[in-house]
Amino acid sequence: MSVIAPKFRLGYLIKGLTDNIFWIIVILTLVGLPVVQIVLIYIDFPIIDGEIWNPFRVLDAMTHPERALPLVKSFMQTDFFKVAAFPGFGFAALIAAATIFVERKLLAKLQLRVGPFYCGKVEGILQLMADGLKLISKEIIIPAKADKPLFWAAPVLFAATAGAFVALIPVAPGWVVADIDLGLLAVFAVIGFFPIITIVSAWSANSKFPFIGGIRALYQMVSFEIPLILSLLGIVMLTGTLNLVEIVESQASFPWIIFMPIGAIVFFICILAELERIPFDLPEAESEIVAGWLTEFSGMMYGLVQLGSYLKLYAFAALFVVLFLGGWNGPWFYPMEPIAEVITDGVVLMPGALTLEIEGGLLFSQEMINGLIWFVLKTVGVILVILIPRGVFPRIRIDLLLQIGWYKLIMLAFVNIFIALALVYSGIIGPGGIL
Amino acid sequence: MVGETVAGYSNVLFMFGFAVLALAPALVISRMISPRTKSNPVKYLPMECGQVPSGAGRTHFMMQYYAYILMFVIFDVMAIFLYAWGSALLDLPKEATLPILAFLGIMFAAMAFALYQTKRKNIW
Repeated sequence: MSVIAPKFRLGYLIKGLTDNIFWIIVILTLVGLPVVQIVLIYIDFPIIDGEIWNPFRVLDAMTHPERALPLVKSFMQTDFFKVAAFPGFGFAALIAAATIFVERKLLAKLQLRVGPFYCGKVEGILQLMADGLKLISKEIIIPAKADKPLFWAAPVLFAATAGAFVALIPVAPGWVVADIDLGLLAVFAVIGFFPIITIVSAWSANSKFPFIGGIRALYQMVSFEIPLILSLLGIVMLTGTLNLVEIVESQASFPWIIFMPIGAIVFFICILAELERIPFDLPEAESEIVAGWLTEFSGMMYGLVQLGSYLKLYAFAALFVVLFLGGWNGPWFYPMEPIAEVITDGVVLMPGALTLEIEGGLLFSQEMINGLIWFVLKTVGVILVILIPRGVFPRIRIDLLLQIGWYKLIMLAFVNIFIALALVYSGIIGPGGIL
Repeated sequence: MVGETVAGYSNVLFMFGFAVLALAPALVISRMISPRTKSNPVKYLPMECGQVPSGAGRTHFMMQYYAYILMFVIFDVMAIFLYAWGSALLDLPKEATLPILAFLGIMFAAMAFALYQTKRKNIW
């Protein structure tokens, strides 16, 4: 049990809280309300159905579902919603946060420990929130001779580049932030930024351990980028497209892992290396070089780098699912056609006490919900497979790492390419093929 | 046509910018609410496990593996060039594969020679 600090008084805490609430109310009333009113003067309100839509009517519409639903639906089709919430940043950050917690508990179970336990009473479920509060309230210390602008920018750039990677992943039919014809090449372009950001942050810290870790990260990411690129060439040859959405649609009847297990294995090992996870965690080897290129990061800067690396983990796992496991394709277990009464009559929620009628169908199509469930299930499975080696394997030596990358994985990637060529020219897959 | 292509990529940049706008406040808020204790002579020194640091922070570069970086510059470009052929494979006649196999043979020979050179100790 923790001991409450001796200077702590409950009265002081309550006094501080009430003081803060008082000042927030005063400032909001004296500053916030006039600002809102001044802004409202200069806004032209849209005219819908012959009525001027002022903020009161918007609030009113929110309480009338038959008016709110079309608004919500149209908002969900905007780019901003896609970027900020669903297939984009919010969704990925939620999965990343869940991954951090699951990893800590899973690793603890593998090592016969308990893991986070006290925060939130139930199996330490609030540990992440506590860690976030701790990180944000810690002092950020920057080494005296560091290159300060680069050092401040590096964590934000790292997390934001991981976010740009997430933008390319198709999650469900029609739900992708950036649907690009050259999607796979764009993925390679984004992956290419990570070693640069790593080496920039390591260089700007002007300290020995980060520099050694940064150089190691550079070697590692550079060595494993070529087998990573080559292991995906087989899929591009068989599908004839670089668009990730079309690659998913090509796997409607079978996933590519059936024909290219070697490519999948090479790609998975390269994922582990690009994510700097055990057994390839040389850049962050905590028993050799303190924390590698993360040594000088403190407080929230470290938190941002962690968030970025787990966003990257989600994006790589999702890329594996999209390319090899068939993305959102899977058997239907959700009713395929929307029920006819829903479209004509609407849905009645909680009849009796509080009747709430929603007219005009559903927010999401059935296809999208079914696809999303399959996608999330597969992605969670791949994430677990990425997490487990951390409890099982030791770290490998750097010369062995380079040797694995340059000799074995590149050879296996070429074997995969020749398997794809054989599949095309033996007439199994492709135009006029059996499948 | 060009505009549509650029619009697809602009979403990636949009996502990047959104992430910067969403995450930079975390650093600003942290700077605002975190305590800043007074400085002392060792507080802002680089981390060296308790020792007083000496020498340059940007230490020596591991030259022994530098050959791999040089190889990366060549073979990364090769890997990307193969995509130009691979994505059009289904539309090409079968004879078009032979030049690519010859190209791969040349690159394999080059890679084998480069890997042999990386193992020689007296030149790196």
